[in-house]
Amino acid sequence: MIDVVRFRAPPAAALIAAPLDGLTAIYHRPSGTTHLLAEPAPQILAALADRGLSLHELTAALADAYDLDGSGDALAERLDELVEAGLVEAGLVERA
Amino acid sequence: MTDPIDPFAEDGTPPKTGTPSTRRRVLALGAIGASAVVSIRPALAQTAGSVLNCQIPVPDPSRAGGFVAADGSIVASGTKGAFAPPPRPFTGEEVKRALAGSPLPGTTFESNQAYVKYIRRLQRGQGGFTCFASIQTPRV
Repeated sequence: MIDVVRFRAPPAAALIAAPLDGLTAIYHRPSGTTHLLAEPAPQILAALADRGLSLHELTAALADAYDLDGSGDALAERLDELVEAGLVEAGLVERA
Repeated sequence: MTDPIDPFAEDGTPPKTGTPSTRRRVLALGAIGASAVVSIRPALAQTAGSVLNCQIPVPDPSRAGGFVAADGSIVASGTKGAFAPPPRPFTGEEVKRALAGSPLPGTTFESNQAYVKYIRRLQRGQGGFTCFASIQTPRV
């Protein structure tokens, strides 16, 4: 068995988003917290909406939609930030 | 004005940019040590803490060790007339005060001017940009 960490964004109904020039303001209804997000955080949230993805799968999904400029470590850091902010949930999933 | 971002596109497609569909959008993942999220808590005290305790490294980690020229640009270490980087990142509170006219801690008049010019020139993807942007965002 291999343990895989999967990441998931809250359902769209839990969030209100508003573009602020180059930033995106996200209001998280359950916590009542507002977050100011810079690229690539909003795009990561979009990729994780309605589905849980591992870091590897997230990288592939973003690379499918964009030309990525930066390292995998940077993406992992951005993901950690979103988890710390409570905007992304990390869960351990077992798979064979 | 940059393109609005729809973070909730259900099909995961990139946002419309107005550019031809054959040209893919570049997604900057940011630098190691940079920050892309600033949280503003409901309680006023927590709001102040979250925003003002964020940090702005000078220069940002991708150019660590570089000197800051008088115009705020980052130049090679040891460049004559440029200033060595400060020993620690500045906090949002310190930068907020500096923008209001108080010098950054541990600086001379000239190095303060150079550091503030560097901070004003921060762009998305650079360490400290989100912190700097949040300082300038009016809060109620």
